[in-house]
Amino acid sequence: MSETNDSLETIVQLSARHLTRHFTTRVHGRFATTKRVVRAVDDVSLDLSTGRVTAVVGESGSGKSVLARMLARIVKPSSGELSLEGTPIAVGARRTIDYASKVQLVLQDPFASNNPVHRVRHSLERPLLLHGANKGDVEELAKAALARVSLEPPERFLDRYPHELSGGQLQRVSIARALCVRPSVLLADEPISMLDVSVRLGILNLLRGLCDEEHLAVMYITHDIASARYLADETIVMYAGQIVERSQGTALVDAPTHPYTQLLIASVPNPSDPMSQAREKGEHSTFAIADVGCRFAPRCPYAMDVCRTTDPPDFQVGEGHTSRCWLHANEPEAVVEVALPERRREGETTKT
Amino acid sequence: MSIKRLDPAPMDEERDSPRLVMPPTTRSEFVLDVKNFSVDYGTGDQMVRAVNDVSLTLRRSTVLGVAGESGSGKSTFVYAMTRLLRAPGLISGGTVNLHTTTKGEIGEEVLDLVTASEKELRKIRWSHVAIVLQSALSALDPVVRIAREFDEVLKTHRPEMSKKQRRERAEALLATVGLNEDRLDRFPHELSGGQRQRVMIALALALDPELVIMDEPTTALDVVTQREIINELQDLRSRFDFAMIFITHDLSLLVELADEIVVMYAGSIVERAPANELYEAPRHPYTLGLLNSFPPMHGARQELTGIPGSPPDLSNLPIGCKFHPRCSYAMARCVHDEPPLVSVGDTGRSVACWLHVEGAERPVPVELSRRVTSSNTSDTGGGAS
Repeated sequence: MSETNDSLETIVQLSARHLTRHFTTRVHGRFATTKRVVRAVDDVSLDLSTGRVTAVVGESGSGKSVLARMLARIVKPSSGELSLEGTPIAVGARRTIDYASKVQLVLQDPFASNNPVHRVRHSLERPLLLHGANKGDVEELAKAALARVSLEPPERFLDRYPHELSGGQLQRVSIARALCVRPSVLLADEPISMLDVSVRLGILNLLRGLCDEEHLAVMYITHDIASARYLADETIVMYAGQIVERSQGTALVDAPTHPYTQLLIASVPNPSDPMSQAREKGEHSTFAIADVGCRFAPRCPYAMDVCRTTDPPDFQVGEGHTSRCWLHANEPEAVVEVALPERRREGETTKT
Repeated sequence: MSIKRLDPAPMDEERDSPRLVMPPTTRSEFVLDVKNFSVDYGTGDQMVRAVNDVSLTLRRSTVLGVAGESGSGKSTFVYAMTRLLRAPGLISGGTVNLHTTTKGEIGEEVLDLVTASEKELRKIRWSHVAIVLQSALSALDPVVRIAREFDEVLKTHRPEMSKKQRRERAEALLATVGLNEDRLDRFPHELSGGQRQRVMIALALALDPELVIMDEPTTALDVVTQREIINELQDLRSRFDFAMIFITHDLSLLVELADEIVVMYAGSIVERAPANELYEAPRHPYTLGLLNSFPPMHGARQELTGIPGSPPDLSNLPIGCKFHPRCSYAMARCVHDEPPLVSVGDTGRSVACWLHVEGAERPVPVELSRRVTSSNTSDTGGGAS
């Protein structure tokens, strides 16, 4: 399944360039309060295209959810550009209803994202009315939306309350709610992590089907790299707000090049080969994120001198496969010796 | 319910000064022996049976994995077993025999936890049976420094220890789970999720228990942190030699960690088998479906089907086999009769499925005697269909 459908022309629907979001927090010290900047998302560029699933993999705190919220324009970026169907968007302005009808977000916990005091009918019909559907049509449209997510017969589900549905069914309602305004981009933020194991695949297959049959552009955010491998046409790994590795298809999972991706993959329970587990170097600590140099360097078993001083650019390691790691500089030994400022400039030019 | 809520225990004289290493024991094979254990929620018409006639045994120093989805009764089972379950939960039958040993004595004491008095329970809780709960954030008191959590346990159960000894003991315990001793003076909110879970594990080991129960200890954690905790647990187990019950919905994690696995569905055990056998050759269709619900990390990408339908509603369970509405192998018999848990093979495994009973209407499908994984064949659909 899920090899890219070549017969179908893919069109970039939503495009983000150098998207950045910094949060400023106040740290109360004994004598003074200082400001600390958390770089939640730093210079992230990506394209979401029709009929393709872009998977974003990362641990909690990697900035993947902030990225999704920026793409949905719930969180305003500190800097960067967005364009929808080729039209630049004023990212600082309020989200318009047109934008909301094109880009929809599905959240992690269906029990929290569906109002418990309203029936499913309300959750589906209200967005339709807000987006300008005729009052007479909304019931049919709501039923059609439920049918699209395989909740059949739709009449049975329209008058249910969220507590009467199982987690998997309710997540399908959330997806139906996002779909009923006919968006072209669906952002799914950990849509399966709260669900039972046996119904997760159903949701993944549903997303795949929406992509293949209705040519939606889907962004699938997850911490489960195995499910990303199952679903993705493009895979992106984030660490501390940066994209550290990205590849077309599953190249990144089958041949990881960034030490963080390797760590992630080695951490996945693998019953068929339990002895293959790599141990992380050094003591487990909080997420020590370096302010200077590569952000992964404090946890990286391969960290070199250059890693501690200079942030690596993206290096090409294969077709459509980049890795943000000095190990993949053309001459790794040379890197250490080359004067750093010069290398830095050179690195920046290769940045996309 | 937090582990801190346990009643203050009286002096615990049989078990003396702090130590972590148990002497090699030759007393009995089992540490826990559960028979026909049932738990209900509510009474009368509204009664829901959450755990239905569960029997199992746990050998000393082994790991028993309990796998199941939400609503399968796995958490209710361990809470009820340790008598931590609150109303409206009610134990409606069965026995839970805990075999406790005492340092320096050959014999063992057997205590039925179902009928034990609060006083007897106080004696075994924490010092013989410890629990690590799912959410470490809510299990630690947010307004108390970590040091006091340790201090309270040791003060109650080891009153002979001095303040300095308690502090040293707490530092040693933190060191065993790979945390720096300066964490003792932190508040829970200053620690990351993984560190908090480590503190919980250190607390559980504080009195050197024979049995540690882990209820989804890694579910809320990231995959890298989960790996660290699992490695840590393996390490601790080889050093301190305790038996463990590990509850999770992540069957692939259990296969790696556990010696033996029981799979629960709708309150009943549907399959029990040594971990590697369960992985390679599941016998119950539900187990097969669960194993096939995890996308593989290697091999060709192929469509997986998972398990159709929704998890069962305990207040409205189907007649016959509880799994038959979602089972692709269901036969006429499954709709009417509930299959008993019968043993299959000679490795002590058992399964509750009519397919494995003699005189079944159809032969056992090949995938229920040997699982086809994507690593050895890439051209077959790995699904349970």
